Amino acid sequence: MSSTVAVDTTGADLGPAEVAHGAVLAAAHGIRVRLYGPAAELSPVVAGVAGIEVVDAPISIAKAADPAAAVQSTPDASIVQVARAVAAGEADAFVVAGATGPALAAGLLHVRRAKGIHRPALALPLPVPGRPVTLVDVGANVESRPDHLVQFAFMGAALARTVLGVDRPQVALLSNGEEPSKGTPDVVATHRLLAERLADSTHVEFVGNVEGTDLTAGVADVVVTDGFTGNITLKLVEGVSQTVVGEIRKAARTNPVAMLGGLLLKPALGRFRDEIDPEGPGGAYMLGLRALGVVPHGRFTRNGFEQAIVRAARGADGALTDVVHRDLQEAGALRRSPMAAATADAAAG
Amino acid sequence: MTRDEVSDIVRRHLADELEVDAADITDATRLRDDLGADSMDLMILGQELKDVHGITLPEEEAVQVVTVGDAVDLVVRHLPSTT
Repeated sequence: MSSTVAVDTTGADLGPAEVAHGAVLAAAHGIRVRLYGPAAELSPVVAGVAGIEVVDAPISIAKAADPAAAVQSTPDASIVQVARAVAAGEADAFVVAGATGPALAAGLLHVRRAKGIHRPALALPLPVPGRPVTLVDVGANVESRPDHLVQFAFMGAALARTVLGVDRPQVALLSNGEEPSKGTPDVVATHRLLAERLADSTHVEFVGNVEGTDLTAGVADVVVTDGFTGNITLKLVEGVSQTVVGEIRKAARTNPVAMLGGLLLKPALGRFRDEIDPEGPGGAYMLGLRALGVVPHGRFTRNGFEQAIVRAARGADGALTDVVHRDLQEAGALRRSPMAAATADAAAG
Repeated sequence: MTRDEVSDIVRRHLADELEVDAADITDATRLRDDLGADSMDLMILGQELKDVHGITLPEEEAVQVVTVGDAVDLVVRHLPSTT
């Protein structure tokens, strides 16, 4: 890989040095990394490792209560420096450890929306066994219009193709029934638009509406919804999964027979655990900006940060933002100003 | 900075962001209705004016802007003093 990834290290629960260890692992893939954070903590970890540069940026707004205000009022903050480096072309993609709000604010203000995009979106690959499902949007926007949701579908599909290794992703729309008539007026309108715009696509297949239960059954590669529903869905999936896993652990310790059964199951459960490891997909992806951003969870270890950096570089190498623009243009789904539309219509006669 | 220079900066920014011809943008052009600019476009314009030209626009005045001419006048009113 030939890309440079700018990385904000300051929001990691295990500290900036843990992110630096992840950068060392990523650099072994040939990725150049610029690490932003307290140099005193980062430099000792990366000393002597080729391809890693440390930028001393100890000011963190990762936990700011008002991320947008913090980004505007703290130009020296590590995340702002990261976003500015990307905007200036000093890096091709960025990773922000554990700070979704500031990453979105800095991305919007400094990296900026890609041309023709209505709204950036957050995509999260859910580690569903057998077939990961990427849910878009998981919370960048509280409200989304049908033309926004259509763009989310294209962005999620491009992510699946260029970063997640799915050749011809199947895209679905989250609703309360499989029939095209099911859902809110916006969901029904989005279904109609997606069916029209993806009818002839050779890159993407629209498989219609799916219900909440289908999400974890791996019925599609990408599932589209608005950020409000997507965020609630994500938290519900996480909550149920944590509760069930906790109860299984408790049950396995109740008596010697259960403990023995747990021991016998351990190898198989280990493989299952690896498959559903949230660190595997690298975190949430910020789509719709002029460069790809990845936001690994703050509690990730170095392995998760490595994955985030590797996948950010893969998105840059695969020209993800160009792929999105080209696909949207071909489908006639780019955002256009009324003035530009009128000019184009006049030119077309 | 003169009003014409401010107008040039604003029109060039909007033309680039919204992919329209700068020559087609006049003072009377409406930001939302003609250019399709949304709140995010206006926020980014404000950030660029702040970053590049050191001009800070009060939010309560910025939300009143309807046309490109209104935006230019607002920026002119808040140009940093050169004295």
